[in-house]
Amino acid sequence: MIPFSILFEQLVNGLVLGSMYALVASGLTLIWGTMKMLNFAHGELFMLGGFGIYIGMVSFHLPIWLALPLVMICIFILAALIEKALISPLLKRPDWDVSAVVVTLGIGIFIQNFAFKIWGGDFRNVPYVFEGTLNFLGMRLAWHRVYILVMTLVVLVGFWQVMKRTRFGMAMRATSFDADTATLMGIATRRIYTITFGLSACLAALAGTALAPIFSVNPWMGLAPLIKGFIVVILGGLGSFAGAIIAGFIIGISETFSVLFLPSGWKDIISFVLLIVVLVIRPQGLLGKKEW
Amino acid sequence: MVEKTHDVNQWQKTLRAVDPRSMVILFLILALLPIFIRNEYYLNILTICLIYATLATTWNLLVGYTGILSFGHQAFYGLGAYFSAIITIKLQLSPWLGLLLGGCFAGFLSLAIGIPCLRLRIAPYVAIATLAFSEIMLVICRNWVSLTRGEMGLWGIPTFSDFSMLGLFDVKFSGGAKISYYYVMLAIFIITMVVIYFQLSTKIGIALKSIREDQDAAASLGVNITRYKLTAFITSSFFAGVTGSFYAHYLSIIEPGAVFSVAEMVEVVAITLVGGIGTFLGPTLGAFTLIIGLEALRMVADYRMMIYGATLVLLILLMPNGLLFGLTRLTVKISNMFRSK
Repeated sequence: MIPFSILFEQLVNGLVLGSMYALVASGLTLIWGTMKMLNFAHGELFMLGGFGIYIGMVSFHLPIWLALPLVMICIFILAALIEKALISPLLKRPDWDVSAVVVTLGIGIFIQNFAFKIWGGDFRNVPYVFEGTLNFLGMRLAWHRVYILVMTLVVLVGFWQVMKRTRFGMAMRATSFDADTATLMGIATRRIYTITFGLSACLAALAGTALAPIFSVNPWMGLAPLIKGFIVVILGGLGSFAGAIIAGFIIGISETFSVLFLPSGWKDIISFVLLIVVLVIRPQGLLGKKEW
Repeated sequence: MVEKTHDVNQWQKTLRAVDPRSMVILFLILALLPIFIRNEYYLNILTICLIYATLATTWNLLVGYTGILSFGHQAFYGLGAYFSAIITIKLQLSPWLGLLLGGCFAGFLSLAIGIPCLRLRIAPYVAIATLAFSEIMLVICRNWVSLTRGEMGLWGIPTFSDFSMLGLFDVKFSGGAKISYYYVMLAIFIITMVVIYFQLSTKIGIALKSIREDQDAAASLGVNITRYKLTAFITSSFFAGVTGSFYAHYLSIIEPGAVFSVAEMVEVVAITLVGGIGTFLGPTLGAFTLIIGLEALRMVADYRMMIYGATLVLLILLMPNGLLFGLTRLTVKISNMFRSK
């Protein structure tokens, strides 16, 4: 029998991992929901978040409460510029779905090698935001993990409320429901696209800043979250915000618990098999709408 | 304005259609190239161009002609490579047989993901499900150490055996004779093109096209969607497998990250889109352009991949229908200019 404290530790690890998957995936699903495209540069925005927090906290010795908002603002501006310059000219084309894939892939390749050129291939360490551990009922829990969980919860709930209650959120939902009608109703859909892309990039970068102290920062750190993010998005049902969050936690928790039964090399297979099995049973994903 | 779009559609139709004459001319040019290019380094690059041209053409059959957005093409390439390498090392079979069996193995396993994908109707679901399949293959390949040696990779894969062509001249593969490999890959490329050509110009081609345009309408008119989709899937995976098997015997060393990687897939997608998706010769043009271009960029070592990424973005933005289409339009424009004078 596995001791309770180990199970609890694995559960917390699973929740932390799952919350990161949920952050990355909710950005992807947001873009699909409004713009109907897959963003293959998403992983590189995650990576830029990691480098951003490294520069802020290690190079400039800024405190976290100053570094984090600065990184978010920079990423938002960068992503909005990318959308305006490179993605929005593609929007009304007939082969939109596939050409957007190659354009975002090209952007991703560029950002990755740009990072490699400027910052080099070293693995850099970022200090924990909160040092020390929390002792709770005889179990030890790193404060940084608590911070990740709380932050994700706050951000996702906040985002959900913005979508639900504000005029901006309403405009966004209207655009994703039917962009042409939304334009007729006087919603500036182009601006919605730009803001959506920027916000989605911020969600990825936020995950990058949170994971930077746990895994070290390097130019290639974006690939794994990108693939996992896509798996999570499809598992939850493309375009569903709640689906992405639930699927993120499912995959995070099942991956950390798999370590108890499987050799660690096989851990990555869990999410892929889970995805294919779910799609065989439920082709639209867990919470996806049937679009036919 | 209306006339202009009509014109564009007309050209696109012509380029989609498979023209046997331009195909034969292409084969002749490729067959005669080694007369002018004898340098081993250049022959190696040309062989790599052919590998990617074959992969992109088979991917294009799925995506451009059938509408199955697969992101798992590298899985079949890798399966062909590993299967062929393992049977030639462990069972001492001939690498020539390995080419065929590698392709069959890849074609057979493609059913494992092809059948679940039949039910998925939105393109990104198919894309990510196939990507998941190929990642599963990568994890298996990395961890089944007793069979694949895992991360260390397989080395000492037997190369093709020398033979005598009709008693007239000897075909040598030993001692790094790149030219023989070039012709073997060219033969694989030609067979792939011809098989796909016949598929597209017969009833199957019409059925595939109808599936791409409107699956439900096609089904209501009695097109057997399952059969035709799986036919396209198996054909495409079989030839990807043969190409992978060739790659294994060409380099005689393979590792999981080299054949099953997402980067291979990115390359194939970029090549097809740059050349012209849904056109018959576009992927080949794209392969030669991008692979040779990438090789030429070695001069600017550090900036190589940055320039490559930026070029991809610009090409798609400026030449939305691909290079083949852009070049055809340019030639037509120039010839019109001469005609009017």
